[in-house]
Amino acid sequence: MTNIIIKNLVKKYGNTFAVNNINLDIKDGELFILLGPSGCGKTTTLLCIAGVIKPEEGEIWFDKKPMTHSAKKVNERPQNRNIAMVFQDYAIYPHMTVFKNIAFPLEITKCGKKEIKRRVYKTAKSLGIEGLLERKPKQLSGGQRQRVALARAIVREPAAFLMDEPLSNLDAKLRVFARAELKKLHKKLGTTIIYVTHDQIEAMSIGDTIAILNEGVLEQVDKPDIIYNFPENLFVAGFIGSPPMNMLDGIFMEKNGDIYIDLDFTEYKLPNRFEKIKKMKINKMVLGVRPEDILISSENVDNSIKAIIDIIEPMGREVEIHLNVGDHAVIALAKSIENLKIGDEIYLILDDKKIHLFDKETKKNVIT
Amino acid sequence: MNSQKENLDIIQDIKYTDSHVSRVLISPKIKRFVKRTILYIILIAIAFIMLLPLWSGIMAAFKTQADLSLTSPLEPPLNPTLDPFISAWEELQRPLINSILFTSMATIFSCFLGSICGFVLTKLKFKGSNTVFLFLTIGIFLPYQSIIIPLFMTIRNLGIYDSLWAMVLVHTIYGIPMTTLLFRSYYESIPESLINAAKTDGAGILKIYRRLILPLSPLPFVVAAVFQFTSIWNDYLFALILTGANFEPASFALSNMAGGTETAWNQTMAGSFLYSLPIIIIFVLLGKYLMQGLMTGALKG
Repeated sequence: MTNIIIKNLVKKYGNTFAVNNINLDIKDGELFILLGPSGCGKTTTLLCIAGVIKPEEGEIWFDKKPMTHSAKKVNERPQNRNIAMVFQDYAIYPHMTVFKNIAFPLEITKCGKKEIKRRVYKTAKSLGIEGLLERKPKQLSGGQRQRVALARAIVREPAAFLMDEPLSNLDAKLRVFARAELKKLHKKLGTTIIYVTHDQIEAMSIGDTIAILNEGVLEQVDKPDIIYNFPENLFVAGFIGSPPMNMLDGIFMEKNGDIYIDLDFTEYKLPNRFEKIKKMKINKMVLGVRPEDILISSENVDNSIKAIIDIIEPMGREVEIHLNVGDHAVIALAKSIENLKIGDEIYLILDDKKIHLFDKETKKNVIT
Repeated sequence: MNSQKENLDIIQDIKYTDSHVSRVLISPKIKRFVKRTILYIILIAIAFIMLLPLWSGIMAAFKTQADLSLTSPLEPPLNPTLDPFISAWEELQRPLINSILFTSMATIFSCFLGSICGFVLTKLKFKGSNTVFLFLTIGIFLPYQSIIIPLFMTIRNLGIYDSLWAMVLVHTIYGIPMTTLLFRSYYESIPESLINAAKTDGAGILKIYRRLILPLSPLPFVVAAVFQFTSIWNDYLFALILTGANFEPASFALSNMAGGTETAWNQTMAGSFLYSLPIIIIFVLLGKYLMQGLMTGALKG
């Protein structure tokens, strides 16, 4: 039950910034996702919150208490922060039984023996591992280990959970299951969770709020659907979504009062909502459109783009169509291919409401 | 390539035995047998040469003074006797107890200190921890001979010359670099996340060491202990310069037995046997773990 605020967090390794001036406001009871490619500083941020790593600058507040405050030279030890962490490799103590593993944090806080026993059994039962308590970690499967790690975190009833890619070591099928379980667990406990992942699908499916990091810099913080539909910049647009958003370079131009983007091979007429670009004096831009927002037509309609089918990948529920547009590769998603085949010449109709325009210089979405 | 050839050999083997075709062809089985036989003959010969001194030593230990001159060193005693052992035991009893005392104490101390150093240097990295480790490593290569005089003076000024504590102190300190190196490389294989987990679970440095690191270290402890025990037990130089008549280590006493004008070889040999007994016992008891510890060095599962 904690609201966590991070202000101007900076962590350097040598001369490189692992985390560069990050600000976050994590609300009480939220499942907050730190998402980014490997090496973007998400785990470093998490370890700073845990108190395992000491940042060079910045503040971390738990409710009204400063846990890290570089100006005041405050840096509370991990054991005083009342947080529980779940690690990617689970970090289960190999020499202890499952019971001992779960009981470890309670023993440290000098709980009574009876109380420890009661709480360990209760937690184990809620995760369905009460039958494994006498086993050693070696005798457990990946999924069971993951539960033990979760149980060790839950048993303390901490102020917040920090999870560092807790599902990435599970196989694909188990991962989907564990994801749903985790979401249920979060609902039941109502505790703040900060969850680190590089898997955007995982992030989109369980997160209340997602913060996207890249090279130590915060790119965007928003609800999952807003991140998907209104990416603030090129990085977020390209990182979220699979298959990724199609990006086409072009030059902004005006003709007869209308606005266009010159894509080399064609001039694409932009909808009126982009009128304000006229005043922004942007020259080079990037047109972004998600694969599912492209309609394939066999007829040349107004403002459509000519393309040639390169590859057709049936995915079961839908079909991924790889196309050549000029020198560019574009991917479109369609419900069915009907009578299309490789080499066919077709026309693409972009959903005008869902196209994105980015300034190539600043990499920002022109509509913010 | 090799296994392919072996498979072929086996196939040929089957063919020839099954079809009973008599041909002038040496079967690979016989070939292998001959090769093995030659190899074992060579190995046994080498082992024989190596064991010869041990054999003659043990034989001498059971000989009377007369037998020593009547028989050749390789011949068994004419009148086997335990007298050399009894007189050697009388002479070495006190030094052996001394040696066992300081060797075990210094072994235990240097192992624990090495374990703590290794833990600190791998898991609690502080500014300059690499420099500290560098100096420790240099300590391993520092020849004992070069520090004899300052060492002697230090020990004398501490007022512990010719005592148990002189030997314990010196051997503990001299053991730290080696044991630190050993424990450090072992602890490096313990994942960082385990330490971080213990930290967030609320454990401080001491609890992490006592409840997590120590229970994970029986293997390096065995390796370090055997290594330390052997090298401290066999030490002669420190025994020579830091002890006198009051506290005589066994290595020193043993060499004194052979040092007089007239050496009773049977007694000296019996003494040597007594002297090497603790080491033999340790290797027999812990050899299995020692091999395991030297092989793995890594923590799995």
